[in-house]
Amino acid sequence: MATLQDRPTIEMEQAVQDGFDLSWLQRLKEQIPGAADELAHDPTLAENTAGLLDESTNFTQRTRGALPRAGIPQYTAYTFRDKKEVWGYNLTKLYQEAVSRQWSSATDIPWDTLRPLSDDVEAAQCQLATFFAQVEFVAADVPGRFIAQMSPDYHEVRMFLLTQVMDESRHMEVFRKRALANGGGLMRMIDSVSDVTGGSTDNAREFTEMSSRLHIVGEGNVLTLFRLGELMAYNDAEKAIYRRAAQDEARHVAFGVLHARYMNECTPERREEIHAYLDEAEDRQATGNGGENPAARGANLTAESLAILLGGGADKADEGQKILAAIRQRQVKEYFQRLKSCGFDDRIENGRVNPALLEAYKAAA
Amino acid sequence: MTAQNDASAEHGLNPPVPPVDDSNPTGRYHSSAAERVQQDVSAGDALAPAAESADAESPAEKAAPSERFAWMKDTRQWGVRAPVTAHGLTVDAINIGIYGEIPDESREMTRMPRGSFATPGLPRLDNYSVNRKEELWSENAAWLYEEAIQRRWIAMQDIAWDALPTLLLDFELAWCQLCTELGHHAIAETDTIGQWLHRMNYAYIEPKMFLATEEFDAARHHEVMRHRALCNGGALGVESAGMVSRRMLETRAGWPETSVALYLARGVLTLLLYRFGAHYAANPVDRKIFSLCLQDKARHLAYGQGMLKYSVAVQGADFATSLRRILGSIEKDMAGELKDAVLWEALAIIAGGSVSGMKSGMAAVHKLRGDYVRQYVARLRYVGIGKRDDALHPDLAAALAGG
Repeated sequence: MATLQDRPTIEMEQAVQDGFDLSWLQRLKEQIPGAADELAHDPTLAENTAGLLDESTNFTQRTRGALPRAGIPQYTAYTFRDKKEVWGYNLTKLYQEAVSRQWSSATDIPWDTLRPLSDDVEAAQCQLATFFAQVEFVAADVPGRFIAQMSPDYHEVRMFLLTQVMDESRHMEVFRKRALANGGGLMRMIDSVSDVTGGSTDNAREFTEMSSRLHIVGEGNVLTLFRLGELMAYNDAEKAIYRRAAQDEARHVAFGVLHARYMNECTPERREEIHAYLDEAEDRQATGNGGENPAARGANLTAESLAILLGGGADKADEGQKILAAIRQRQVKEYFQRLKSCGFDDRIENGRVNPALLEAYKAAA
Repeated sequence: MTAQNDASAEHGLNPPVPPVDDSNPTGRYHSSAAERVQQDVSAGDALAPAAESADAESPAEKAAPSERFAWMKDTRQWGVRAPVTAHGLTVDAINIGIYGEIPDESREMTRMPRGSFATPGLPRLDNYSVNRKEELWSENAAWLYEEAIQRRWIAMQDIAWDALPTLLLDFELAWCQLCTELGHHAIAETDTIGQWLHRMNYAYIEPKMFLATEEFDAARHHEVMRHRALCNGGALGVESAGMVSRRMLETRAGWPETSVALYLARGVLTLLLYRFGAHYAANPVDRKIFSLCLQDKARHLAYGQGMLKYSVAVQGADFATSLRRILGSIEKDMAGELKDAVLWEALAIIAGGSVSGMKSGMAAVHKLRGDYVRQYVARLRYVGIGKRDDALHPDLAAALAGG
């Protein structure tokens, strides 16, 4: 480790006489005592971010802790430059876990274990895969847009979201690959849309609005399904797809929960607003509107596909529907657990939660 | 459907449908290859093993589709078995039959997976602005995507941080300054791609997916550069002058126009700085850090050049002229950054081994600046923009001459 010298060296003075500037080097030397604090805040090592600025004045894309230059254009004009708008807990751990658990759909899925399936089961698997190929990258496009609008002073948030962009890209292609790998093909795109003119995940212009819809509800529902992939998989390749996708999705959901928990604790004035986002998202969860919950009763294409897969064939779809009903209940249970974890479970008790979800929860109890 | 799964005869739920020209299911795809699509659909039959085809029942022998699951017949091409290659099941491998048909233009605004069965009458979910193949496509994007995943690395696990030796302070701080500059490059890259990715039409998933890997790489580059600056007794340095970053971020004309700044003006410099770091690294740890970043950056440039070359080839000389005109303002900022003492003095210390070695180190800096302009011009020519040396900004021309 280098030792601290706070005055220009003879070599520096000589270099300046030779025409070099080197004022930057002296500024760096003065910067060293603060570097220890920066290192403590470093995303790779620590969670100690208590001293992080609540409001960012970084408009020039500098990495946090770098020395500002005077007189350069403030060209970034970040929309999100307040810690209370974007922050969460455990960000560095989630980031490190994400980079450690990357996988390749080309080589980490045992594609050679795929076996010909009956046409109805193959069609159901392909229909479900088509759904995921259609929706997964939304969770990359949307965070990507927010990253570009967020101050790099909060790089822990940005870096985690960048891992999500990567994860969702892989999810889109692994399901496309599944649809095209076993004698099937892509099938019908989902036809359920809602809130095209506002109030949906991909239209959100506010970070917490986006996160509560995308991470807590939308991806939460998908996570429950992925976790139960064993029930829908007919070979080791499909099991591996669901298992690995679940692992990724769990991180994304954790991010959303820990962001909401932070918001609950640090911005109580926004609780009502967040409840309003959850009102809308719960409606979609219950009805299948917007195609955000493939297991929802109203999501015909995907719910029927799931019923076939869970039952073991088109002729056993009614049996599958019973399992699917249990899965819906489990989705609700896990959602309620997330509400408790982030401190918004008062809506369960005070009657605000969507009645259909509450009913499913009670039925499962 | 044009081919049967070998179990389809048994269940009869997914019988073949008469071939129809459904190459443009919503009227929102425009493809010069449209007339070939039906032919490709037929070719898709050949993808099924011969034994399956022989065993398949004739359409007349199929049962009628179940009314309950009417959606089961909603596919444009059935019987697809993408081959698992020596590199696994790759994105290239699944680009077969109609699923590999890349439209020249897509007005499909619903995120419909390419090749899936369209649902007519859906409202637009978005209004993508990058809708033409020549605005983002590169033939190598799918392959580069798979390569990016195969060559992933982990900054906190693959770098032996504890093995970083103590360096003389001025030398260490020069490395810190280089890392600060490159950390900024990564942030600028992230912001730039992030504001374009969601504007790109879903018909072109290969470049979208590749750009997702580039975003991920940029996160890792920011992480590793920031950590290197902070972990060995130094400090973060002076922020980048950021002139070219501003060009990248503020370009609204289109993705190719943005890419000229991102890949050719900035990307070439980033690449050479990583190469410089790997070459002059005073220890194996630094050499590995910069070598790994260099490998990633080379991949980014391979996409950027491939895309620009295709874009110029399709859009012609007029478009090349327009990009050349854009370069005027970009080169002005490249020249401004070439004059910025902070980065270049830090590099002189690194190349010279110390502050007292700066004079000799400047030879390497002059070479780097010359290489930067030389490669910039060469890559412009490669993509078809064709910039003459005597048309360069005077300061770039001077750098080319070793100034």
